[in-house]
Amino acid sequence: METSYETIIIGGGVVGSSIAYHLSERKKEGILVLDQKFPLSGTSGSTQAWVWVHNKTPSWYAEFNMYSAELYPYLSKKIGDVEYKRTGGLSPFFNEADREKALLLAEAYKKIGIKIKVLSREEALEKEPSLNPEVAGATYSSIDGNVNPFRLVDMYMRAAKKNGVQYSTYNKVTEIQKLPGKFIVSSRKGTFVCNNLILAGGTWSRELGKLVDISIPVNQLRGQILVTEPLKPFLHYTISGLRQAFNGEVLIGYSMEEEGFNRATTLDVIQETANMAVHYVPQLKKAKVVRAFSGIRAMPEDGFPILGNIPGIENLYVAATHSGVTLSPLIGTLMTELILDGETSIPIDRYSISRFDLAIR
Amino acid sequence: METDVLIIGAGPSGLTAALETASRGLDVTIVEESFSMGGQFIQQTQLLQSLPSSYQPMRGFELAGLLTKQVEDYSIRCLLGHRVIGFYKDGSVGISDEINVFPLKAKKIIVATGAAENALAFPKWTLPGVMTIGAVQTLINRDFVLPGKHAVILGSSDFAMDVALQLSELGVQIKGIIEKTPSLTARDAEKVEEVRKKGIPVYVNSSIKEARGIGKVEEIDIVHGEQILTVSVDVVCIDGGRSPILDVFYQLGCSFSYQKELGGWIPQYNKSLQTDREDVFLAGNAAGVSSQGVLLTTGMIAGVYVSESLGAISKQEADIETMSLWRELEIMETKLYPDAWKARMQHVENFEHPVLKDQFIS
Ligand SMILES: Cc1cc2nc3c(=O)[nH]c(=O)nc-3n(C[C@H](O)[C@H](O)[C@H](O)COP(=O)(O)OP(=O)(O)OC[C@H]3O[C@@H](n4cnc5c(N)ncnc54)[C@H](O)[C@@H]3O)c2cc1C
Repeated sequence: METSYETIIIGGGVVGSSIAYHLSERKKEGILVLDQKFPLSGTSGSTQAWVWVHNKTPSWYAEFNMYSAELYPYLSKKIGDVEYKRTGGLSPFFNEADREKALLLAEAYKKIGIKIKVLSREEALEKEPSLNPEVAGATYSSIDGNVNPFRLVDMYMRAAKKNGVQYSTYNKVTEIQKLPGKFIVSSRKGTFVCNNLILAGGTWSRELGKLVDISIPVNQLRGQILVTEPLKPFLHYTISGLRQAFNGEVLIGYSMEEEGFNRATTLDVIQETANMAVHYVPQLKKAKVVRAFSGIRAMPEDGFPILGNIPGIENLYVAATHSGVTLSPLIGTLMTELILDGETSIPIDRYSISRFDLAIR
Repeated sequence: METDVLIIGAGPSGLTAALETASRGLDVTIVEESFSMGGQFIQQTQLLQSLPSSYQPMRGFELAGLLTKQVEDYSIRCLLGHRVIGFYKDGSVGISDEINVFPLKAKKIIVATGAAENALAFPKWTLPGVMTIGAVQTLINRDFVLPGKHAVILGSSDFAMDVALQLSELGVQIKGIIEKTPSLTARDAEKVEEVRKKGIPVYVNSSIKEARGIGKVEEIDIVHGEQILTVSVDVVCIDGGRSPILDVFYQLGCSFSYQKELGGWIPQYNKSLQTDREDVFLAGNAAGVSSQGVLLTTGMIAGVYVSESLGAISKQEADIETMSLWRELEIMETKLYPDAWKARMQHVENFEHPVLKDQFIS
């Protein structure tokens, strides 16, 4: 294996692999991805994987997500079938107070060109007859959908490898040295030198930051997801909290818990989640749950992506975000532009790590 | 609901663990997903020779009956048709009767969830008629249903020899035992001889290239050296070995290490059959796939140490009792699976004196 690279990406999840792929489209040589386990061992392998825009706030963040969702059809053409479905998204509500909020949201989104419809009870039930008839209405947006995260990361990886990107797995990065014009990256299996270094360690970003004496304020937020037996296709839309996959399984999950890196599942949350699902879609009461798993969200302190250069250290970049599945095509594209051209076609200043205090606490 | 000892799984090791703990006055609850106790012994008609000294040689289903009877003589709570489906945040065990879920607080848990068969895949292996060898045994011995008339067996363990003999006694034509390595993997020379006497063809260095059939398996291609043999069959028995069932350990947050000879990933444990979660013990195939006698003994050892951890006997008594149990275990295991015994010792050693850090998945 080579020891010297133009660019090293630490982390081969959906974010790191998308950056590797997009970068390799324009620059074939000298890219290495290092992962402490294997791509999909992290958050990208334990996610709901909606490509979701609608009802993210504020509207500029929704807009950012929309640009990424719009890239999905082209992405599938380039890297292959990732089981992307633009189903449209439905967020049901059950009381009139929520209708007011929904109308305000729709108004705000209109300004940035995202169309949200506020549906009446009848309209909502007509679109998705399986919804609880007690629903008061729903917000609807046609841009939402979902994807198979396993295929997505795998296809990014295959396409990147085809373009010459190397992957080294079970290879944890333990030390990073900054020298003028280069980085020396020490890992379990060896030492590598590179000019550009990208930190895409997801929920482990804080630890990675420490290796370069920078605070990357990403926290852990556990989510537990239930998987039903395969059911005949009956859910037409991606509904907030649940979706039906290609193979008929329904994935259900809403929870957020501060439990560090503990990936256990608990019956408390599992039962609450199941009850919620039955409230939304009563016929799920008959479905058998065959599996539950949990994933640890990479959650930046203020909830928004951390993207771009790290001020004060030349050629060092970070990409850490929640909603990384939705955002991966856009993040891959923009990070490539930033690295190769020094600027991005869509401004990302808002997402710079400089909005936080960089001193390690 | 509360209990001193919760035993998950009423197979042979779960039952011996239950007897060891209940006989010392502890309050014991068994949860078992099927509606009968005895686990895989129920469908085993072959004579079990290598059992702990406290048991006469007998057939598997007879032993299942005996253990069930003994358990029923104690006031052990047996939740049949119930499953452990998860754990609550406060550590209570979530038990389902398939309609409701209720919590149970246990001071100690013994996980005796056994092993599951591994599949061996080849093109069209999902055709009906292709099944694991354990499923075949269950069909003939428990359900009294013949799976077909013309069978091949893929794999050649002792278990495969047992089932080959049982099938041919029932008039099923065994058209071949197919083994990918250069020799049969069965250790029991007598049984292998019996199989040979029956004239069952054995293909070593061989594999199944593909199965064919419309709606069910009708023929298979065997790759035998340079040759391809096409054989018409209606049953393919897959003997792919077994691996411990680990779901409960994952949920409990136990850590694991890999021991190929014991069936793959197994929870870490010490000589007391205690995992790295102080309140969780294990027994049977879950502690490493082995022979019937070993399963019983591991259940007994776990039972003794759980009794000790709850103060029902002294440490000294426990050590004395288990010393002879470990010795028996060694004799039984080295007789049939010497490599498994070595792996087991290595496994315990790794846990008690870890050399490598970070070698375990969890
Ligand atoms: C329950 C749940 C539901 C979610 N639902 C959605 C959704 O519907 N839509 C959506 O868009 N997003 C969703 N997300 C979020 C999304 O899954 C994540 O934002 C995304 O997977 C993050 O990707 P990543 O590549 O940054 O992280 P990861 O996939 O975790 O990748 C990081 C990689 O870095 C590696 N690494 C870390 N440290 C080191 C080191 N020192 N050396 C080498 N390698 C290292 C890790 O091994 C890992 O593979 C959900 C998340 C969860 C948990």
